[in-house]
Amino acid sequence: MTYQQTTHLKYQQLHLTGEVDLHNSPIVRKQLLNILNEGSSVLVDFSALSYIDSSGIATLVEAFNLAKTKALTLTIVGATGGPLQVLELTNLNKVFTLIESLEGIKE
Amino acid sequence: MKLLRTEEFKASTAQLCQIRAEVRQACQLMHYDDADINVITLAIDEACTNIIRYAYNGDESGKLVIKIFQHEEQAVFHVQDFAKCIEKSCIELRKKKLLQPGGLGLQLIHQVMDSVQLIPPPDGVGNILELKKRLPTG
Repeated sequence: MTYQQTTHLKYQQLHLTGEVDLHNSPIVRKQLLNILNEGSSVLVDFSALSYIDSSGIATLVEAFNLAKTKALTLTIVGATGGPLQVLELTNLNKVFTLIESLEGIKE
Repeated sequence: MKLLRTEEFKASTAQLCQIRAEVRQACQLMHYDDADINVITLAIDEACTNIIRYAYNGDESGKLVIKIFQHEEQAVFHVQDFAKCIEKSCIELRKKKLLQPGGLGLQLIHQVMDSVQLIPPPDGVGNILELKKRLPTG
């Protein structure tokens, strides 16, 4: 798994590539919590993510809950295939905001 | 049961990627579609993750063995560790709230596999988690 952090309008975007599992989810957790603790809403870009396990999902839940307490948002962008299946299996597709692409994001 | 594959791994999170690759390849050979391959791979990964985290407590000197069988209309996956024996209740599905932490891996395993049970290891050492999934039709 690799990641890249960029700025998109008022958001910090975390672009994840490859597979998130117990081996690397602590890295994703650290990045997400850093972004939120610095006061930015976050776009988690799944468009190049091929796999996520329960530790990755737990990381997203923790970040989502932190975002809510700070009146920030966590949005998942471009989830397809296996990662989308996992979000659906856990019903978190009904909790998280999922968007297909960055085109709908406004300032 | 016809044994299709046996693989042994170190009980390390660094091995999870290789484990998934082996499971995906075996599922492709059994002609599962992409959606089924994704969820079977997830279930095996979650089983291995639980072994690494809880059975071996992060001790990477432990090992885990994955055996894949074909039996009648089912694929059968055995995920074996050599740690302390666990109770059957450890793998039972518990009710869980949506955003409640913990237990998500086990929940996913139960959701995506047709059968989840502990079976006695041949020499009485460790645990074997047996997961079954109906083979694709047609």
